[in-house]
Amino acid sequence: MQRIGFLKPSPSWMRTTIALLGVAVFAATAASAQTAAPPRHFAIRGARIVTGAGNTIDGGTIVLEDGLITAVGRNVTVPAGAWVIEGEGLTVYPGLIDGLSTLGLPASLRVSERGRRPGFGGGGGGGGEGQQGADQPPFSRGPEDRPATTPWINAADELQIDDDSLATWRNAGFTSAMVVPEKGLFPGQGALINLAGDRPRDMVVKTPVALRVTLSSGGASRGYPGALLGVFAYIKQVFFDAAHYDQAWSIYERSPQGMERPVYDRALEPLRDALNARQWVMLPGTWAREIRRAINTGEEVGVSTLVYGAHQGYQVADVLAEHNVPVLVSLDWPHRDRNADPDADEALRVLRFRDRAPTTPSVFVQAGVQFAFYSDGITAPRTVMNNVRRAIGNGLSEDDALRALTLSPAEIFGVADRLGSLEVGKIANVVVTDGDLFDAETKVQMVFVDGRKFDVDETVTTVARGGRGGRGDSEQGEEGGDVGPMGPPLPMVNDRGPINPTAVTVIQNATILTVTHGTIENGSILIRDGKIAEVGQNITVPSGARVIDGTGKFVSPGIIDAHSHLAADAINEGSVAVSAMVGIEDVLNPDQIGIYRALAGGVTTANVLHGSANPIGGRNAVIKLRWGADAPGLLFEDAMPGIKFALGENTKRDREPDRYPATRMGVQDVIRQAFIEAQQYRSDWQEYEQSRASGNENVIPPRRDLKHETLVEVLEGKRLVHAHSYRADEILQLLRLAEEFGFRIATFQHVLEGYKVAKEIAEHGAGASTFSDWWAYKVEAYDAIPHNAALMTEKGVVVSINSDSGEEIRHLNQEAAKAMKWGGLSEDEALKLVTLNPARQLRIDDRVGSIEVGKDADLAIFSAHPLSIYAVVEQTFIDGQLYFDREHDRSLREALKQEKEALKEKHKGGRPERITTDDTLDGGREKVR
Amino acid sequence: MRTNRLSGCLGVLCLLVASPGWAQGGAQVYAIRGGTIYTVSGDPIESGTVLIQGGLITAVGANVSVPAGAVVYEAAGLQVYPGLFDAMSRLGLTEIGQVTVTSDMNELGEYNPHLLAATAIHPASEIIPVTRANGITHAVAAPTGGSGGIGGQGSLIHLDGWTVEEMLIEPSVGMVLNWPSLGGGRGFRRRGPPRPFAERKERHDKQVAQLESWLEASRHYARAMASGSPPRRDLRLEALGRVASGELPFLVMANSDREITEALEFAERNNVRIIIAGGREAWKVADLLAEKQVPVILGATQALPSGEDDGYDQAYANPGQLYEAGVKFGFATFGASNSRTLPYEAAMAVPYGLPWEEALKAVTINSAEILGVGDRLGTIETGKIANVIVTTGDPLNIQTEVRFVFVNGQPIDLQNKHQSLYEKYRARR
Repeated sequence: MQRIGFLKPSPSWMRTTIALLGVAVFAATAASAQTAAPPRHFAIRGARIVTGAGNTIDGGTIVLEDGLITAVGRNVTVPAGAWVIEGEGLTVYPGLIDGLSTLGLPASLRVSERGRRPGFGGGGGGGGEGQQGADQPPFSRGPEDRPATTPWINAADELQIDDDSLATWRNAGFTSAMVVPEKGLFPGQGALINLAGDRPRDMVVKTPVALRVTLSSGGASRGYPGALLGVFAYIKQVFFDAAHYDQAWSIYERSPQGMERPVYDRALEPLRDALNARQWVMLPGTWAREIRRAINTGEEVGVSTLVYGAHQGYQVADVLAEHNVPVLVSLDWPHRDRNADPDADEALRVLRFRDRAPTTPSVFVQAGVQFAFYSDGITAPRTVMNNVRRAIGNGLSEDDALRALTLSPAEIFGVADRLGSLEVGKIANVVVTDGDLFDAETKVQMVFVDGRKFDVDETVTTVARGGRGGRGDSEQGEEGGDVGPMGPPLPMVNDRGPINPTAVTVIQNATILTVTHGTIENGSILIRDGKIAEVGQNITVPSGARVIDGTGKFVSPGIIDAHSHLAADAINEGSVAVSAMVGIEDVLNPDQIGIYRALAGGVTTANVLHGSANPIGGRNAVIKLRWGADAPGLLFEDAMPGIKFALGENTKRDREPDRYPATRMGVQDVIRQAFIEAQQYRSDWQEYEQSRASGNENVIPPRRDLKHETLVEVLEGKRLVHAHSYRADEILQLLRLAEEFGFRIATFQHVLEGYKVAKEIAEHGAGASTFSDWWAYKVEAYDAIPHNAALMTEKGVVVSINSDSGEEIRHLNQEAAKAMKWGGLSEDEALKLVTLNPARQLRIDDRVGSIEVGKDADLAIFSAHPLSIYAVVEQTFIDGQLYFDREHDRSLREALKQEKEALKEKHKGGRPERITTDDTLDGGREKVR
Repeated sequence: MRTNRLSGCLGVLCLLVASPGWAQGGAQVYAIRGGTIYTVSGDPIESGTVLIQGGLITAVGANVSVPAGAVVYEAAGLQVYPGLFDAMSRLGLTEIGQVTVTSDMNELGEYNPHLLAATAIHPASEIIPVTRANGITHAVAAPTGGSGGIGGQGSLIHLDGWTVEEMLIEPSVGMVLNWPSLGGGRGFRRRGPPRPFAERKERHDKQVAQLESWLEASRHYARAMASGSPPRRDLRLEALGRVASGELPFLVMANSDREITEALEFAERNNVRIIIAGGREAWKVADLLAEKQVPVILGATQALPSGEDDGYDQAYANPGQLYEAGVKFGFATFGASNSRTLPYEAAMAVPYGLPWEEALKAVTINSAEILGVGDRLGTIETGKIANVIVTTGDPLNIQTEVRFVFVNGQPIDLQNKHQSLYEKYRARR
């Protein structure tokens, strides 16, 4: 994969070497240059010294001897043997530290341009390179294959001294960097290095300091994990495996006799260190939701988390502070994709992100979040400094900016006792400038690394690197130029979250469709503290209550969608036939506009399901559409957990390479095998617990397995099965299989031929969640009839109508109405299909699904009867708060338009560069069934 | 729905139904009596009567007397409308979406102006009876084709007939041109980075230039054919010549405002007639469309807004905005199995700014006029083809039932695959 060998002299390499030789200083690239190097004994006299430790000394002297700082101050005597540098007009700073980089590492450990942004892409298939031809990476069939996992690689062992970029960064004042491999899910461990040395090993200051985790295999594997869902499950499983490994070995070492030895695993060895808090675990997170995921993942597996990326850190500074998680902030501020259509409309969400990302550092300072800067693949150091200036323009003090480039990274990496400030005894890493470091006109005059002096060669200002597709040299001239506006962020229209929150609301004089207690004409509803407090015709309005005139309007319970893929960054972990280890909760995306659009359709609760690519899919997440909340805030509190199963065509469709099953026989076999394994897993644990209970200390516990663990919950009735299905025969087979293992299917999803076996479904006690009138899009949907919902209802099945679509979710009331036309359901029965019945199916009917005292005040107000196609949702309430209001929506439109125009104006002319928008699906997947 | 049919002839001598005239329709007169007639061409007629004979509407009015021997359909308390028109569909061209061998709508090759949908229409498709049971009586079946290419010609058909010859109303109503896209160009499931814009633009421009050179070639061909020494016959150029001469319009599949604008400029530059098909962002260029008097066959109203920052209801509001601007449009499903949901696409626009009467026109007369058959279809008027439906109410509302359907002057058995399966499994004990 190495396209340009680093051992091969490139023209820029030659230039660098010659330039360095020319000024007769030590050159890292050529041992012969050593002879020209003076002794490491310098004194800079009469300079302005910014110590970085809180004080600035004007007209001070700093002495560097044998690689260390031996004196700093105003009244320092210059030693006789020192080479004296007159510091008049110069400023001395601590050498800058790049908090995260791949400097000095071979191309084989780096990722090409497209895969670089943390949190971008879904791993597995997303990597791109190396996927064609005979050179395919290995196919992974599960966590046990350890895909793209090489944590044993230590940056310190891989350094290449002849990397010409080292000089480039030194020239800009960077004397140290934390370098770590970046390719793969567990690419390796990082080392803090100085950016000069005779031999690679001279450069290492400390190692290992951090174990990197990414969310993309970067093309280093295929198969599992194939989506972001699997990536999180995989990361967790590997850490759980490491904990088990650690435990198993210590039990074994205690008394090996009579015990089979645990299997050596080089991938897990370094993770033991991480678990024992001997090094950081770096987890990526650019957007706020990704940062939260990183924090949660780190806590779940029990490691010390260091987040990197953090462009939307401004939104989660309090969370980071609360969890005491330090951050490496990428200085590669978001910007427009160079390859984008110049006329394409960019979303306000993206523009706001671009505008506010540079406020993150100042927000972190205020919130007390520890952070350091890193260059994140920027190839021109000048761009790095320009981008620091943007942070300063957005409220960061120069002192704090300097700190984020010096002492703060030193503290984070545990080397503050030797780096990060100009103090006696510390390593002599020093940068000397002709002015203020953050002044655009300032030039670096000389740099000291380990007390060696380097003069600055201005011809080398850009890193020339191979393997960085799309970011070649030719662009670099521009990179240092226009980097985007320096000024503070523009004000934001408040367009998310509850509208005018109030504790008490009364809806008056409306037609109330209670669903459980008939229709109340001219009725009122009193809402207090999120609950329905009273329903009836004579309700006194408490003082201070918000009053909503419902004259001529219809109030229904909030619509519930029993099958949605809303608000998720990934849907299908289809790389394996059983993906019970993955969960939608890991990838919830509260920023998806589809949430708001569904709210505008009166929807208040949705069952967010894994896709149907495999017989056993992933865990679901039941959410309330609390637009504006973060991912945990979306979750329906205490909703019973569930899992997606799938039968039929989607699961057995051809896949590359062949994936079992390919028939309905195989589908059932996969499910049966999975439960047999889960039963075995359960009994292994029971056996272990018994053995422990009987006093046996020397037993190695079974390995915790997220897949089996989930299925054991199904066996024990603690997790609901939602089974995607079409044909009558497959429905029947799964019923019988569940009965064989002693659990009940909670719902059949889609279940288009459910009407043929409605009797059996009803007897089993399963629910059915179907489409209104879709058919003939595939063979197993050819016998679908629009009477399905009505006919199953008639035969005693609890039926709901679901959307499975970001579009259809917006008019589920109309879809329910179709069951009146086809099959003759009554109005009440029809309305139940999208309110009470899905609530019953999800076991949340004690909280939602009807308008009853004590239930959550999740309501939709319609302009006409909701079963009329002409009905429009006017307001939607969740927990008694107004989350959608048609009037409010209209009133905001102009302001949002103006904000967007202002943002576009402010950011126009910025250099177009690589992808900065996230890969969010907009919830608009149409009819993927 | 068989019961409905029976109830329809309860009031008359059912024996007549069995007469030879039934099969041919020739002399048999059918009378729809006593319903409210929404002619679309004028005000509704209370307690009116529609007479049908020989495939045509022969009389409409409040004071029409029913001739002896007519089969009478009692419509008291019911409403009578022109049959609904799905202005662009895949009816008869596909049966099961994911089974490509059941699909005859997308031929290989970029430029297929000479291909005709009617050639491949499958009269026995199970989808057709399901569709007409909800009041859709005629539709354009159109081929698809790839971006930047010409997919073939769309055929206007009745949704009834033993053979395609019996179904055909107009073999060709326009030629499908998929406007060259400048879109994202990302691969399957949006994996991988988008192709650079410059690359996409280059390809797009080349495609537009190709289309222009095809048109030029067809004009040259026509001139050569008219000359003393005609060249070898070229079916593609011959077919395209009908568009070049203005005889047939291009049905230009275009959704974004940029695509639509480009198509309008293209039409002007090359002096061809176009109808925009799709039109998701037509609202952005509504004034331009009105000014150029170019009509639109609209796709789904029940759709997501195209831009993240567009109003949540933008797709619902699109038809109303076009109406306000004076753009002529009709609705289409661009599908087959979902063709029966056509009335709901129209209804959805009503609370968002489209008057109900206009919504009704957009599934009846507008599409007929846009496609050049307004003199034969789209209203209940004497002399028009008798595609008529009788309903329990507003045909755009969901709960409304369709009681009687006449296609090409024939009463239609409303039984279909869905109804049969329903009855069969409902009886399961």
